[in-house]
Amino acid sequence: MIKLKNVTKYFRVGFFGIKKDAVKNLSLNIDKGKITGFFGPNGAGKSTTIKMIVGLIHPSSGSVEINGYDSQDYRARLNLGYLPENPSFPRGIKGIDIVKYYSKLLNKKIDKNSINEVLKLAGIFYARNIHVHKYSKGMTQRLALAVSILGDPEILIFDEPLSGLDPIGRKEFKDIIFKLKEKKKTIFFSSHVLADSKELCDKIAVLVGGRLIKDESISVLEEDAYNYLQTKTNDTDVTENGAEMSDYNTPLEVYLYDLMLKNKRN
Amino acid sequence: MKNILYTAIYSFNEIKNSKIFYSFLVFALVLIFGSYFVSQTSFISQGRIMVDFSIFAITIFNIFIGIFIGSSIVYDDIEKKSIFLSITRPVKRTEYLIGRFMGLTAAIIFSTIIMMFIFYLVLLIMHKYVIPFPIRSVGRAPLHTKTFLTLYLLPQSLLIQALFIIIESVFIAVVALFFSLITSKALASIFTILVFFIGNVSSRMNTLVMPAKKIINGKEIIVHRANYVLTAAVHLIYSVLPNFSIFNISSEVSYKISISSEAILYGIIYGLSYTILLFVISSLLFARRDIS
Repeated sequence: MIKLKNVTKYFRVGFFGIKKDAVKNLSLNIDKGKITGFFGPNGAGKSTTIKMIVGLIHPSSGSVEINGYDSQDYRARLNLGYLPENPSFPRGIKGIDIVKYYSKLLNKKIDKNSINEVLKLAGIFYARNIHVHKYSKGMTQRLALAVSILGDPEILIFDEPLSGLDPIGRKEFKDIIFKLKEKKKTIFFSSHVLADSKELCDKIAVLVGGRLIKDESISVLEEDAYNYLQTKTNDTDVTENGAEMSDYNTPLEVYLYDLMLKNKRN
Repeated sequence: MKNILYTAIYSFNEIKNSKIFYSFLVFALVLIFGSYFVSQTSFISQGRIMVDFSIFAITIFNIFIGIFIGSSIVYDDIEKKSIFLSITRPVKRTEYLIGRFMGLTAAIIFSTIIMMFIFYLVLLIMHKYVIPFPIRSVGRAPLHTKTFLTLYLLPQSLLIQALFIIIESVFIAVVALFFSLITSKALASIFTILVFFIGNVSSRMNTLVMPAKKIINGKEIIVHRANYVLTAAVHLIYSVLPNFSIFNISSEVSYKISISSEAILYGIIYGLSYTILLFVISSLLFARRDIS
C-alpha cells in the first residue's frame, strides 16, 4: 500500500548550506487495512517522513510509493486523506465553503449529504456557517479532519492528530479512528504521546534521530516489553528510573520510552 | 482543468474577502471621487486633470494589489500551512499555482472594473470625456427619426488604458509571485517595486544615454557620448527588464487620441508573453520546492 524504500532526506542549514539529515535510510511498509502508529520524540523526523509520503517534500534519495505510484505523482493521492499538524485555513471563508472547495478537488462526486456527514462525524457541523478565522484551535483541527476524511479515502495519514485537542476532543477523535478502523481503512498517524500506542495501533514504528529503530506488530512489541520489564525489575538501576516509570501505565509505554531514550542518547 | 477553475474561484473569494484588497479598493475610490475636487483647482482643462488623477489612482492601486497580494498569495499559504490540505489532494502543483494566479487575475479585473465604473459615473456627472451616442428609432422619412435614448460612451483610449492597467497589474503580480517563491514576502515586494520602478524609467534612461548627434554641413556628427560602462549597463537593464512605460498611455487618454491597433496588439502581446514566461519559471520552481 505505502512503501518507503531507503529514504533519506537532508536539509541544507545555515549560511554555508551544511547538510543536516532529517531522515536516514528509512525503509517502511504501511500495511493495508491496519493502523500504524509512528512514534518518536520531537525532532525525530516523523513529520518530514509524513510530508514525503503525501508529496509535500521530495526525498533526497530513495523512493516513496503509494498504491504503486510515486508520492510526487498526483495519482498517488487519489485515495488519500491527510490531516496536517496544526492545520490552518485562509481568512474570511466559512467552514462549509472550505469543505465544499476541497470536495471538488477530489475527482469524485460528493453530494451535500456526504459533506454534512463528515462535518457531523468530525463534530464541527454546528459551526459550518462561521468564518474559519473565528474558529478555535480545536475547531480548526476538527474542520481539517472533516476535510481529510471527505470522499471516504482508503488511506488516512494523520500528523499529530491529537495535539491541540481537549480531553473530550481526544476521546472523540479516538472514537473516529475506531470507526475508521472498523471500515478497514489504512491509517498511519504520528504521535509522541505513548499512551496512544496500545489503544489505537495494530503496528508501531519508532523513529529516533531520523532512524527507524522499531517496526513491529503490537503483539510482538508487547512480548518484548514484558521481557524487557522483567529484566529491568531484576536490575539494580530500577530505583533510579522509578520516577520515569511511574509516568507510564503499561509495560509497552515503559519499553517504548526507554527505547527512545536509549537511542536518543546514542 | 476543473481543479484550476475551482482553485481560481476559491482564491478569488479569498482575495475578495481580504482586508488588504478592500483597503486598496476603498482608497482608489476615494481618490477617484477626490479627482473632482483636485480638478477644481484649475480654471482650464479640468477634465484632463480629473482623467490624469483618476487614471493614476486606478493604476497605482491595481499595481499595489498585484505587488502585495501577488507576493503573498502562495507565500502566505506556505507560511500558514493552509497549502498542506490543497496540494495533498489529487491536484498537480501546476494546477494549484495556475488556479491561485487566475484567482488573483480575476480580482485585479474585478477591481479595475469597479474603479472604472465609478470613474465613469464621476465623468458622467461632470459631463466630461463622455461621448454622447444617441440611439434613434428610424422611420420612413427623416422627419420621423426620433432620439429615444442617449448612451454616454468612454473614449477608446480610456478603455484601452483600462485594459493596459489590467495587463500591467497581472504582469506585476507574476513578478511578485516569482520573487515570493525564491525569497521572503517582504523582499519579494521590495524587488517587485524595484522592477516596476526601473521598468518605468528604463526607456527614458536608454534614450538619455544615446549619443547626441548634430548635423553639420550635411554630416551627422556625434557631439556628446555618455560613459561606455554606463551606456552598456542602461542598455542591459533596458533589454532584460520589462519596459512598463509602454502600458502608460495617459497622455493619449488626456488628449483623447485614439490608440492604433498595432500599439494595442504590441502592448497585449508584450505583457502576455512576459507574464507567461515568468509564470512558467515560477511553476518550475514551485514544482521542485519542498513545502514544509
